[in-house]
Amino acid sequence: MRKIVLAVLGIICLTLCYFTFLSADKAFRSDWQLPQTAASGQTQHRLVLITQELDTSFWDRVGQGALEQARKDGASLEVWGSYGRNQEEFLKKIEIAIDSKVDGIIVQGLDSEAFKSLTKIKAAFYGIPIVTVANDVPMAESLRRTYVGSDQYAAGQMIAKQLIADMGQAGNVILLGDTYQEYYQKQRLAGIQDVLQDYPDIRTAYEETEATREQVIATTKDLMNRVPDADAFIAVNANMAEAMLHEIGRRSRIEPYHVYSFDDGRDSETLFAQGKLDGMIEQSPEQMGALSVNLMMQWLRGETVPLEMDGYLTEIRMAKAMDAR
Amino acid sequence: MNNSIQKKIWTLAAIVLFIMATIWIALTYYNQKTQDRYNDILQRYLRMNEVTAASQQMITSLNNYLLKPSPANLTILDESRESILRAKNEVYMLRNADNAFALTSYMNLIDSLVETTDRSLIFQSEKETEASTQAFDEATRISKYISEMTLTLIDTELRTYDRFYRGIIEQSKELKELGIWLLLLITFLLAVFTYWFSLSITRPVLKLTQAAKELSRGRFDLEVEVESNDEISFLAKMFDRMRININNLISEIQQKAQLENELQQNKLLLQESQLRSLQSQINPHFLFNTLDTLSKKAYLEGAEETSDMIVSVAGLLRYNLKRLDRSVTLYDEVKVMRQYIDIQKARFTERLRLHMDIDDSCLHVQIPGLTLQPIVENAVIHAVEPEEEGGNIWFRVMDGEDRITIEIEDDGPGMTEEKIQSILEEHAVESGGHSTGIGFSNVVKRLRLFYGLEDVIDIESGSGRGTKVIMKIPKTRGIESYDKAPDRR
Repeated sequence: MRKIVLAVLGIICLTLCYFTFLSADKAFRSDWQLPQTAASGQTQHRLVLITQELDTSFWDRVGQGALEQARKDGASLEVWGSYGRNQEEFLKKIEIAIDSKVDGIIVQGLDSEAFKSLTKIKAAFYGIPIVTVANDVPMAESLRRTYVGSDQYAAGQMIAKQLIADMGQAGNVILLGDTYQEYYQKQRLAGIQDVLQDYPDIRTAYEETEATREQVIATTKDLMNRVPDADAFIAVNANMAEAMLHEIGRRSRIEPYHVYSFDDGRDSETLFAQGKLDGMIEQSPEQMGALSVNLMMQWLRGETVPLEMDGYLTEIRMAKAMDAR
Repeated sequence: MNNSIQKKIWTLAAIVLFIMATIWIALTYYNQKTQDRYNDILQRYLRMNEVTAASQQMITSLNNYLLKPSPANLTILDESRESILRAKNEVYMLRNADNAFALTSYMNLIDSLVETTDRSLIFQSEKETEASTQAFDEATRISKYISEMTLTLIDTELRTYDRFYRGIIEQSKELKELGIWLLLLITFLLAVFTYWFSLSITRPVLKLTQAAKELSRGRFDLEVEVESNDEISFLAKMFDRMRININNLISEIQQKAQLENELQQNKLLLQESQLRSLQSQINPHFLFNTLDTLSKKAYLEGAEETSDMIVSVAGLLRYNLKRLDRSVTLYDEVKVMRQYIDIQKARFTERLRLHMDIDDSCLHVQIPGLTLQPIVENAVIHAVEPEEEGGNIWFRVMDGEDRITIEIEDDGPGMTEEKIQSILEEHAVESGGHSTGIGFSNVVKRLRLFYGLEDVIDIESGSGRGTKVIMKIPKTRGIESYDKAPDRR
């Protein structure tokens, strides 16, 4: 009897001890160490990638490529920017970047006076190198070190050639561009028109509109009224493709039309996957990001001075709807 | 040893105190640690906020100075510059892997703000108002950026430390749980320990109580045993000693009571014998006078033998009356015995033959009165009277080392073993015909009481080979009480 009582008491005691120690271990184990203060950050080059179109798949991929390359090169890089082409915010970020004295700015080019003044005067004043990526602004106007991205003129040519291959050498083509023409859009348009003007049977109707959805719809409506027998549509600004297609779809079926655009729009990939776009210029955003960081680092380390003025071109290819299906 | 229970209580108290102190210290330490962490975190936010405040302060003072360039305003501006640089240095401490980039930018922004402010001041001093205003605008913008960046940084902080904060919350929950477990454990341990501890005090007390109960019931032979090392065991030892003492005292009292009893019996025997002798001495003086007259008359009438015999009878009678309760010398006893033999000789003439062998040096020893006469009488009654031929009686007194041996032997028919036994065991075997009324067994009793020895008298006999009574009288008496006891009357 006494033995049993002792055994029971012992078991209770051991159990209580076990749980107490378990609990004490949990309560007193301090794995919540504060993050260590990093002394190594000092020597790293600080780069900033600034875009107007955060959270679009195109720019996400650029960012990814850039971050990966930055890690390889031992630089610290942050992706800043504005959403939905908010220029004011975008310019502010650039100014902050300059005032924060980063070592290099990789920026989506913006063909505006404010942008040019920031890059040309302020960045130069602080001696901060600027590399444009994806969208270029001419060297003379922005004092950029170099440009990394697609050859937009070649992209325009490619899309025009595809159009001719698909449509034939005669037809009406509607071109939709931005009222506020940026340099890269001008180049695309030039590329398209340079090809198409060789074919006298192809008539082009070019209209410029503001980038808002309502305006795009209105302009598309107007164009289709004016050119009822249009065979093909090209959205030079990829962001207009969705609204344009929406308007076309409202009037008739989309299939008979040849619709082309670029991949740097908000909805480009979705539209292409849905088959609404017949062709789309695919650029290489990861490559752009990686290459821009790489070149910036080369310049900062003094390995390649100066950088190629005309820019470093990345691959482009024509993606046809057939491929997707 | 003498404060062992106190020591035990102190030990218990010390253990409880120790446990409580340990828990208290652990909790305090833990609390302090948590507090420090909270302070660190708060400090971070406060420092960042400080930068914002300082930058805004700087813009305000710059504006004031540009509007009214007085030395006082310049001092204020310098002060705010100092404060923002100080804030910047403090912010530098907050660097970690996650916010290194943003923090460097942040600090550079502060530098830019200071530089822009300086530029504005230089333009102001060179009277280039427009450039100065432009610089001021830029400074204002930078200040705004600083504010925004502060928010971004705090946001980053929150994200970085999210796990950390959750850890703190988690741990405070764990601490509560620990508290409950600890309470249970301590309660249990204390309960067990207290039970054991109180048992170690109460168990000896209980044993002692039981021992006391046994003693109170009169059982003095059970040993009091208590296994402990405190005052109780001391108490128990003392108690046990007391028990042994009481036990000894009781047995002593019992011995004394027995002795008293024996004395009482002795007294009764004396009274009995005296009563008997009194019955037979109705008027001793008359008897003595008559006997004297008779003796003289017999002498005058020429019967000398008769006269002597009457004198002997008178002497015997006197001795019998006087000496019964006194110790006398052996000499007196022998004398009385001779007188008795003389009287009996007149009766039995040649049939009674007495052979005496006496060592005279032994006659001074003390002996109870009337001890030899009854034994000799007994021999006469049993060995001489019934025989036609008569009988021989031998009386011997011999010196020994520390005892004197008195032998009275006859050649009569002897006694049976049972008879001897009953005499030696002092059973009153009344046989009439004794002249003094004192029987054999009375003599045996008195002898034993007088000397306090059992082996003072022995009888050797067998049927047909006579009887031999042997008395071994010590030269010095063992017990004095015999003399005094009758005096108490």
